[in-house]
Amino acid sequence: MNRTEIKEARKTSPVIKPVIFAVIVLALISMPLWGSRYSLSVAVLVLLYLSLAQMWNLLSGYTGLTSLGQQAFIGIGGYAIAVTTQAYKMPLVAGFIVAGVVAVVFALVISAPIFKMSGVYFTIGTWIIAEALYIFFVNWKFVNYGIGYPITAAYRIRPEVMYWISLVVGLGSIVIVVLVLRSRLGLGLMAIRDNAASAEVRGVRLYRSKLIIFLIAAIWVAITGCLLFMNQAYIIPSSAFSIDWTIAMVFMVIIGGSGTIEGPVIGAIVYIILRQYLYNFPGISNIILGVIAIIIILIAPKGIMGFINKRFNLDIFSIRRKPKRK
Amino acid sequence: MQLLIQSIVTGILLGGLYAIIGVGMSIIFGIMGLTNIAHGNLMILSSFLIMVFSTQFVDSIIIALLITMVCMVILGFLFQKFLVNAVIDKGDEPALLVTFGLSIIIQNVLDLIFGADARSIASDFAQVNVVSTKYFSISGAYLANFIVAILVIAALTLIIRGTYLGRAIRSASDNTKAAELMGVNTKLYYAITMAIAMLTACIAGLLVGNTFVFYPYSGTQYLIIAFGVVVIGGMGSIVGTMLGGLILGLGQLLGAYFFGTGAQILSGYIIMLVLLTIRPAGLLSNAKRK
Repeated sequence: MNRTEIKEARKTSPVIKPVIFAVIVLALISMPLWGSRYSLSVAVLVLLYLSLAQMWNLLSGYTGLTSLGQQAFIGIGGYAIAVTTQAYKMPLVAGFIVAGVVAVVFALVISAPIFKMSGVYFTIGTWIIAEALYIFFVNWKFVNYGIGYPITAAYRIRPEVMYWISLVVGLGSIVIVVLVLRSRLGLGLMAIRDNAASAEVRGVRLYRSKLIIFLIAAIWVAITGCLLFMNQAYIIPSSAFSIDWTIAMVFMVIIGGSGTIEGPVIGAIVYIILRQYLYNFPGISNIILGVIAIIIILIAPKGIMGFINKRFNLDIFSIRRKPKRK
Repeated sequence: MQLLIQSIVTGILLGGLYAIIGVGMSIIFGIMGLTNIAHGNLMILSSFLIMVFSTQFVDSIIIALLITMVCMVILGFLFQKFLVNAVIDKGDEPALLVTFGLSIIIQNVLDLIFGADARSIASDFAQVNVVSTKYFSISGAYLANFIVAILVIAALTLIIRGTYLGRAIRSASDNTKAAELMGVNTKLYYAITMAIAMLTACIAGLLVGNTFVFYPYSGTQYLIIAFGVVVIGGMGSIVGTMLGGLILGLGQLLGAYFFGTGAQILSGYIIMLVLLTIRPAGLLSNAKRK
């Protein structure tokens, strides 16, 4: 692309982009009117997994906090909605609020020890915390030990409403990431990811920036967890705190492209469609996912979006500053 | 009092088993800086292989172990040479995720072939108490675990410190560029390191299979133990691995003694987290000494 073409693209894009976005958003909002029941349920999954992928990408792709323990917050969210609506008969909204508050408190408590660890140690530390939480819930009377709770409140909301809430959560995750990255905080974050020591010397407040991102991800993943378990209508510790959640997040972000905003969107769509299709092959579905993950890392380490970016120089969500290319 | 002594003795012996589970992971991390997420699954894979060989093809467990070692060494060498080496220069994450993909593949393939039933490797001496006093008793399996762990860790230390192979491996890890300039094929030595780690995984697989039951998905559980051992001891420190194993084993058994059996695993995790908070790089970390 030469200089005039770039200028041309800059001139036209401010008009075209919002129109395309508006059309897509309108189409998504009106989906219950034109989509089938099945496509609606698949869309709910795509949106919720999109939210998980977006948050994991914010942590790992932009902040360098590669966590294998995000299932802790999914479990907290799921149990918050189960306990508030089932044991205390409170409305769903209360469940969401409790989920957010508990997630923030828990994230604050664990942030002190785990932010002392860096790199691989952080990754392992977060995973151990999630596993410890799982064991704790299995032995905790308040949450009914390992037997868990049904979430009957989930049956009372209509599929369209469930879809719209998921839409808010899914699209909300994109909005949050774009807003965060366009702020001063986001600029600091990418500086931290690329070189923590020099960023700190330059006046980026390392601990505070990491903590804010960690808290944002905690709240949003917990709320997504509420919806995921409303979708399943039953919660037990082994599914609530399963490493499978994080496996899914990692898979989506990697195949889509880590450190991009479009990557998790592509990743979530590919992952859910692939998973729906692979239901037909129960034994080997995970094997195929594993093989695909390895192949993609080998041929396109930056994921599908990284590959497209490099080839076509396409950038849908501008965050002004691009991640460092290796 | 009797129970307390028994807990301490069992904890120490269990620590030996934990150390040998973690040691392969520790050398892989220490030498190529790779966090091998598939380590637990590779160990359980060798448990399954030993079980199959010893029940179907040969009579002796030792011969089954040797056959499994050959298979696993070849597998580890090829895995490192063709998959991990291809991405290891591109930063930590791609290599980590390749091993992650491998771990998912292994556990699902095992599930597909063997089903979700509990398995074990039977042996004559496992359940026999070889030591039995008024205060405590020691079963054959636990004693064997501890002795083998010490032997393997001592042997590894000697190889890494004393032989040409060890010097080449260490040079590849200390300064990759300089080692390559001196004619060391670092990628080849990475693959050899992976093969050595596979040997320890085979031995650990035999001991675990002989001591506990295992499932296709047990790998994750042992991966966390390996992680715990390695991070407590310090990534890359072989002696630290032994220390980490002992602390974790003792911590679990004492946690079970004081707070009930439900707290056994939880107290292990809490000890890991507390130690990581106090010493974020492990007790005997290589990074610290440099």
